[in-house]
Amino acid sequence: MSERASAAAMGPVAEGRFAGLDPRLLAIGVMGGLLSGLLGVGGGVVMVPLLVLWAGYRQRDAHALSLGAIIPISLASVVIFGAAGKVRLVDAAALAAGSIVGARIGASALARIEERHLKLAFGLFLGAVSILMLVRQ
Amino acid sequence: MTGIVLVAALVAFGLFTGAGAGLLGVGGGIMMVPFLTLAAGVPQHAAEATSLLVVLPTAIVASVVLQRRGIGNLSLALRFGVLGAGGGALGALLALALPAHVLRLVFALFLAGVAVRLVRDALPR
Repeated sequence: MSERASAAAMGPVAEGRFAGLDPRLLAIGVMGGLLSGLLGVGGGVVMVPLLVLWAGYRQRDAHALSLGAIIPISLASVVIFGAAGKVRLVDAAALAAGSIVGARIGASALARIEERHLKLAFGLFLGAVSILMLVRQ
Repeated sequence: MTGIVLVAALVAFGLFTGAGAGLLGVGGGIMMVPFLTLAAGVPQHAAEATSLLVVLPTAIVASVVLQRRGIGNLSLALRFGVLGAGGGALGALLALALPAHVLRLVFALFLAGVAVRLVRDALPR
């Protein structure tokens, strides 16, 4: 714990060379996008754990980075799905009306919450998701 | 559910999902897709497409809030996200060629392992 905790406190170690990016970030972005495209889930579920456990980011920073990376990833997917005529605009508009208000609340909470509580919340969330996926096999 | 009741349910569920997404750093699709298919009766592909269109503004709003508070690094996130978008296109093509249930199983086990590790790290000792 202590070794990882101190590495996390310092944040990411290497300053990258590929397009100014840490190669691990590059790999995480591609993996997040890949799994998102493969499984139809948000890339964040993959990117957040990798950002924390592999790239050494703090939990809070990993969540913020993941949200930012989701913008271009979901934009690309929406364009592809939209071209296929699959998007239900009325449903999306109703959900989005709620979710943009919710996003402000959630992001404000993310800015304040204790690192340890955030880790616990995310761990429980992932546990629930994995059980759901195993059950729905 | 139909008409105004469905719209109200969608707005309420959107509020819940958006808050979860903003806190947990995910898009929220993993919560929205089952809701759309099970509660609103939307077919799987349409549910994924619709949820992705909601994920986009949710992630933008959350990112703007976090950027204002100086948390994370939005330009860095956007840069590796653009590379991720390329991966997403590749993933969609691969999904057509690979057995989906194997992928889901491997992915679920990966998430379960991470969940155990994070909860263990977070618990007081």
